[in-house]
Amino acid sequence: MTGLRGAAAVVGVGLTPHHRRSTGGPALRLCLEAIVAAAEDAGIHPGDIDGFVSYGAERSEGQKMMPALGTKELRFAGLAWSHGGGIPGALNVAASAIATGQAEVVVVYRSLSEYDGRRLQLDVAQDDTAAQFLVNGLDAPVQLCALGTMRLLEGEGVPASTLRAMAQASYHHAQRNPAAVGNGTVLSDAEYARSRWISEPYRLFDCSRENDGAAAVVLVSAERARDYPDAAYLLSAPLGAAAGWGPLEGNQNPLWSAGFGAVAARLWAESGYRPEDVDVAQIYENTTGMGVSALIDHGFCSLEDAAELITFDNLIAPHGRLPINTAGGNLAEGFIHGMGLVVETVRQLRGTSVNQVPDARLSLMTGGPGDAVVSSALLGTRDTL
Amino acid sequence: MGSRFKQHRISGGIGGDDRFWEALEDGELRLCRCGSCGAWQWPAHFRCGRCGSWEHDWPLVEPVGTVYSWTRTHMAFPRTTARAESVPYVVLLVEVDGTDGARLHGVLEGPADALAIGARVRGTIHPPADESLGYPSLRWALETAEVSR
Ligand SMILES: [Zn+2]
Repeated sequence: MTGLRGAAAVVGVGLTPHHRRSTGGPALRLCLEAIVAAAEDAGIHPGDIDGFVSYGAERSEGQKMMPALGTKELRFAGLAWSHGGGIPGALNVAASAIATGQAEVVVVYRSLSEYDGRRLQLDVAQDDTAAQFLVNGLDAPVQLCALGTMRLLEGEGVPASTLRAMAQASYHHAQRNPAAVGNGTVLSDAEYARSRWISEPYRLFDCSRENDGAAAVVLVSAERARDYPDAAYLLSAPLGAAAGWGPLEGNQNPLWSAGFGAVAARLWAESGYRPEDVDVAQIYENTTGMGVSALIDHGFCSLEDAAELITFDNLIAPHGRLPINTAGGNLAEGFIHGMGLVVETVRQLRGTSVNQVPDARLSLMTGGPGDAVVSSALLGTRDTL
Repeated sequence: MGSRFKQHRISGGIGGDDRFWEALEDGELRLCRCGSCGAWQWPAHFRCGRCGSWEHDWPLVEPVGTVYSWTRTHMAFPRTTARAESVPYVVLLVEVDGTDGARLHGVLEGPADALAIGARVRGTIHPPADESLGYPSLRWALETAEVSR
């Protein structure tokens, strides 16, 4: 136990529209919109935010936003490693700052815009792609993930139907989310099968969208959260990598995994809950296959019975065994480097999702799968503490 | 040493593998072992985490191995535009024989009929080219239809 269980809670969320690439304007402006919205949602003056935490190659640093937010004093700032793998870990960093008295109101956020950024190569991959990949025709994360998922399918025998189920559940949920970029796209079996290959075993619909936008959540101490009946308490948000994992250029073991083994073990141990207790999950899926691996890593199913759990019916709200990506996820809601998933994780506990799971009390978010270090977060309502 | 790849330096990754690329440009496949305890270390790093040595050996390795995974890419990406004419192309991840399981990527050349995890492959070394971003490269070919899972 780290002593952080339940020490902090999310009391405000903000999310901009998912603008089409390069139409959203400056990332810093989008970031301010999301942070101000999150502060107002929490009933806190934006100038009272004293901690700023993000991940990846975030360039909208707190100090750049101070004049626009009316910040009284910036007391804490940090970035969780690395890429999308660090998202839930960023919540952990924020909770650590709050629990140790370094800051009182901490915002965790991410902004992306092609208007003034360079997207995947720099903003997401941080220009850190090894020569072993680039020399051999591997550039995009989707290609690297494809090698892991081919190992999952052909090497371990997990059926490709699991990939399609992940995609169809996300698009299904997007139909009730007017803000989702996949709203209006009905993903039938035939439509999925017709879609073009990107990098086998991935088709177009297996891959996440890219958007301009920003998302933010505001955290305060558990004590202060008592004023908020719908506060989402952070039960655990470990970040890490076990030996045999990391930036090993295809030498990770086991390569079919999304790298969550050790992190998931700590998540269940620290939170005191188990996979079967989880009501709803937001599974970061840069690609469908990595989402499948994340579910296996977290113990929702095994390699052997993955196809039994990971079906369309089981993955959809309100009554599936494990509804996932209930706002559409990175595939169908839109992609702000996964930060939209944190917002939806909180919405489910508040009862305000467009695809609400009845009486959701435990809401999971898994971070960028297959990343060199990864993180996951379990959030709960007050009665789960 | 006037290795051409150094003029096209790719800065991502760990960066401990200069000797690998130098050897490849000289037409040799060399992988990294700890100079003290002999453990294979791949990707190459600067220090052996097992015994603490900073010394390395780079023994010659025969470019043969087993397909560990593969993907067939159907479009060019921003940094692989030099391969736009080659799509779709297959990239293999190969477990190299005699290296305690070190895996190397490489484009597949020749027939792909027997392509499968477990298939045996042999590599050939190619000089620096635009499609390999100014670096030398290892390409793999399937040896036979024989599969050893
Ligand atoms: Zn050693």
